[in-house]
Amino acid sequence: MRSDKDVKRGRSMKVSVDGRAVAAFEGETIATAMLAQDILAFRRDRAGRPRGLFCNMGVCGECLVTVTQAGAPRRRLRACITEVADDMTVVTGTGDQP
Amino acid sequence: MYSADVLVIGAGLVGCATAYRLVQAGAQVEIIEAAHPNAGASGANAGSLHFQLERRFLENGEALADQAASILSLNRLAIAEWHGLADELGPDIRVHMRGGLMVAETPDDVRMLERKVVREVAGGLKSRMIDGDEVRALAPGLSQTVLAASHLEAEGHADPKALTLAFAAAAAGGGARLRQRCRVVAARASKGGYRLSVETPDGPVDLTASKIVIAAGAWSGRIGELFNLHLPLYPVALLMNTTERTNPVLDLLIQHVGQRLSMKQAHAGNILIGGGWPSRMRLDAAGRFDLGQPAEMLTSSLRGNLAVAARVFPSVADLNLIRSWTGITAVTADQLPLVGEVPQAPGVYVAAGGSAFTLGPTFARLLARCILDEPEDRLDIFSPARFSHLNSFMGMARA
Repeated sequence: MRSDKDVKRGRSMKVSVDGRAVAAFEGETIATAMLAQDILAFRRDRAGRPRGLFCNMGVCGECLVTVTQAGAPRRRLRACITEVADDMTVVTGTGDQP
Repeated sequence: MYSADVLVIGAGLVGCATAYRLVQAGAQVEIIEAAHPNAGASGANAGSLHFQLERRFLENGEALADQAASILSLNRLAIAEWHGLADELGPDIRVHMRGGLMVAETPDDVRMLERKVVREVAGGLKSRMIDGDEVRALAPGLSQTVLAASHLEAEGHADPKALTLAFAAAAAGGGARLRQRCRVVAARASKGGYRLSVETPDGPVDLTASKIVIAAGAWSGRIGELFNLHLPLYPVALLMNTTERTNPVLDLLIQHVGQRLSMKQAHAGNILIGGGWPSRMRLDAAGRFDLGQPAEMLTSSLRGNLAVAARVFPSVADLNLIRSWTGITAVTADQLPLVGEVPQAPGVYVAAGGSAFTLGPTFARLLARCILDEPEDRLDIFSPARFSHLNSFMGMARA
């Protein structure tokens, strides 16, 4: 959830996480947008177990998600230090490509 | 009364594997290790099983390339050795021998490859030239810039984090004793053998044996000095890199004849990238190379290595680089490995000098036979005797 009182946000962005439209605003990280929706499982380990955001500063790698943006190849990015962009598609999971 | 039949200095791949072959034959063996098993190049290398002639043998002219071709006899033995290792040591060492390609991107590269394959075939290796289309059929994902490659079915990779430890466990299972964090500080001749002064965490001890194996990788030259020997081994610092895991995209070992590149997908899915890009060794207080400190990574090497990898196998550019590291190995004065007894110090054996992930298990098997006085002539061309002129005024007679 977000606090809305006295908060000035950037413009609204269209972002999807695992196929679901997620409210996000310019300047937010992917992790912020996911956590605001109570999406806590950022990736799966090789045994399929959920893993979540841990350090929130780009070091631990626990928040790696698969990101597709217009005009860029699909990449594994750290949700905690990657800002949202319009029409960004985020997929959680093991990262193994189909 | 000796402490052991054989004292092995160094618990890297070669030391642990040699200890294992010796205990299999019933010898009493102790391994003396300054740090911990697999601490040096044995654990830091990228795990290539490369049996084609290496690029480093080809870049310094025809005469040196001819001489280096004599290593092919050992490469052929190594192929057979690796085919048996998974059965012997178990699946954890991740032996993956699905083939390897050495690629060429220019007409000059192609001609160099062709000469290399002629040498290899003459040496009994089943390598062959294939054109770019066949290359990409074997290894989809390789770039259109690849004009041709030499292909060898036996090549591949294994896990350098696991192999030495598997040999160490097998040696321990056979009764070998491993002394970790123990440093050999002096050696002298003693009653038909040698007495080593060893600093241990519990204080100094003297260990004796009739035979000594120097298997200390880049440190072997310094250990040689304790025996009053020149061992012409020169430390070299290299760079290795790994990407994040991805789904299976690369089944073969990829090398490049004209550029420094080795590339493979390890068992967990990470793509390992190396190929001989230099790092910079740090210096000690006296201004000499300090083998005890990790070498410094060079930005130029990092950029160069990743650039050639991304050119040859473009989809790797979409992956995150998750780790780069340096490691220090050793090369010899004439680029062939140094394996065998040192004539000026009877009973002192050495096994070091490059390519020792691919060749180490074979060094170990053959060297153990020499140490056990079994007939063995396959190491003759790698014998330290070829550098006897360096030790004409050196060495130590046994008491």
